Amino acid sequence: MPETPETTPPGSAAPDGTRRRSVWELLDSYRGLIALFLVFLLGCIVTPRLRDTGLPIFLSPRTQLDLLFEYCEYGLLATGMTLVILTGGIDLSVGSVLGLCATLFALLTVGYGWAPIGAVLAVVGVGFLAGSINGILVARFGMQPFVATLAMMTAARGAAKYISGGIKVQPAAMPWYKLQQDTPHFFRWMTTALPGLGIQPASLLFLAAIILMAIVVRRTVYGRKLYAIGGNEEASRLSGVGVAWAKGLTYALCAGFAGLAGVVNACRQDIGDPEAGAGFELDAIAAVVIGGTSLAGGRGGMGFTFIGVLIIAYISKILSLKGVDIAQRMMIQGAIIAIAVLIQKRKRNGA
Amino acid sequence: MNGHAQWVKWTAGLMLVAGAALLAGCQGSKDQGSQSTGTTPPPGKTGTATTGSTPAPGRKFVIAMSQCNLGEPWRVQMNADIEAAAKEHPEITLDKADAQNKSETQQAQVRDFIQKKVDLIIISPKESRPLTRPVGEAIDAGIPVIVLDRAIEGDKYTAFIGGDNRKIGLEAGKFINKTLGGRGNVVELRGLMTTVPAHDRHDGFMEGIKGSQIKIVADPDCQWLEPNANREMKSILSTQPQIDLVYGHNDPSAHGAYMATVQEGKGREKQIKFVGIDALPTEGVKYVKDGILTATFQYPTGGKEAIETALKILNKQPFEKKTSLGTRIFTKENVAKGGEPL
Repeated sequence: MPETPETTPPGSAAPDGTRRRSVWELLDSYRGLIALFLVFLLGCIVTPRLRDTGLPIFLSPRTQLDLLFEYCEYGLLATGMTLVILTGGIDLSVGSVLGLCATLFALLTVGYGWAPIGAVLAVVGVGFLAGSINGILVARFGMQPFVATLAMMTAARGAAKYISGGIKVQPAAMPWYKLQQDTPHFFRWMTTALPGLGIQPASLLFLAAIILMAIVVRRTVYGRKLYAIGGNEEASRLSGVGVAWAKGLTYALCAGFAGLAGVVNACRQDIGDPEAGAGFELDAIAAVVIGGTSLAGGRGGMGFTFIGVLIIAYISKILSLKGVDIAQRMMIQGAIIAIAVLIQKRKRNGA
Repeated sequence: MNGHAQWVKWTAGLMLVAGAALLAGCQGSKDQGSQSTGTTPPPGKTGTATTGSTPAPGRKFVIAMSQCNLGEPWRVQMNADIEAAAKEHPEITLDKADAQNKSETQQAQVRDFIQKKVDLIIISPKESRPLTRPVGEAIDAGIPVIVLDRAIEGDKYTAFIGGDNRKIGLEAGKFINKTLGGRGNVVELRGLMTTVPAHDRHDGFMEGIKGSQIKIVADPDCQWLEPNANREMKSILSTQPQIDLVYGHNDPSAHGAYMATVQEGKGREKQIKFVGIDALPTEGVKYVKDGILTATFQYPTGGKEAIETALKILNKQPFEKKTSLGTRIFTKENVAKGGEPL
């Protein structure tokens, strides 16, 4: 029987009954949320005040929506990464796949004049395909996820440079490009706040993706398999859980989300940059880990990851608004990741 | 679960938050000082700002600066020039940001500046297209923007200040033509071929030596990097018996080529002349002083001009929408007195 998934608020999950639920334990379940709240408070206290209203900049809805928008690419990557990490794997290729997909999206729309929707489908398909290769290498040939996705990381970056001819894809970059003046309207639409709502479609895309995946993880057979594989792969194999297929699909989905993130990247940059997304995989992994999903697999969930993305986005926004020097900023961010993992380790030992 | 583990966990968590608060606090106290001096006091709240009928004198300005990266010495110099110029005007408070070579970061920085309602933004963009919209948003929010070095798309900005690489290449070409007496073998060490400055420094140079007997015997792409120039020059030295001059698209390239020649061990560095571009105090100018380079041509950062233009804009005085900066030549003869304008 698969392990009971440890997802967000266990208040709703059925406890095994024999445990005494202390106040500490209850607080502990909401640790991520509490940390998020504390960071939020910190932001309200330390950020400069708006000149007109006197309220902290951090509190303004504009700032909150801005930071969600700034982090929606990482959010999409982290959504896919959570699936992979739940199985106890890792995907280092998402940053490169993002770059490949951003370049391809710009090339299809600006270069070949495709309709944006067709290009989105094609690009996500390419991402899915790249992920399938990862999945086959890992699930069918038993390659270490670290190694398989490292290979894809290199190959996808090469592919991005190859299809673009080594240049940044933008109108008039090549004489044969269909668009010589401006990028399609879709680029601006994705990254401009919708009138009335004040939120960018790119941010909505991330929210939709993570909510959908939260449902998939918690309510479907596939979702339960993820936890089972991460909990004890050998036992799952013996008990007849379709390990290979589930794992393969996981890597494909992860890269598919990287493809979507690539579309967002191209729209935001207004160019298809073959170098885009370099190093993003590390931020995505950091968001997942800070949220509380265990790198060992089998524990965590989408809710945790959403909190992790917000915590990183908040901290980075606070440091940016405060004008903290970049060197100090990197040290603080490093310390936060280390401490977050340290806390998790205590949890595993204590459980 | 045992209580001990819980305790440790929570302590660690609290330490994390406390640490962050502490860091933010240190920064805060430092920041509040500059913030309060930098922010314009709301009218009527403080007496000093509203005394006198002329609003111009005594007004304080916050100027925000987004630099695309501080990994290149030239950009470090640009920031230093801006700081030096700003220091002469106590009414200016600088709010500096380093985008770490990421367009996403630079976009966010510009939007943060808009949120903070700074008085003016100076930006040296990493890339034209990605920064075009954020700069436009600042203009829409009523914040003037000075674009430095790399232009943005269209004309939705307040002022542009940049160097003229074509002119610099042309001057280098004319100087080399004169130095070699119109004939000789030249090695051209190019900058990264996908960048506009590399093309301009090449095109200008070709125009400068047009009609002469000068032959380009090699022109590898060194991507602005000294190690690459060193490696390329070693191969060139082994295949070219006669080299009269090396023209580097930047000073580190020329220096790398010089070192390669020294490392060859045949003493050819005494016959070959080396010319570079950029003339940073710590690089090109020093190399000229040391007798390594025959000449270097300054690629000005525009930092000083940016602050001058900013003050004109803020004080509602007339200013140039586009400023093209000149260049200076540094040779052994004039390096002591700070080069000569061309």
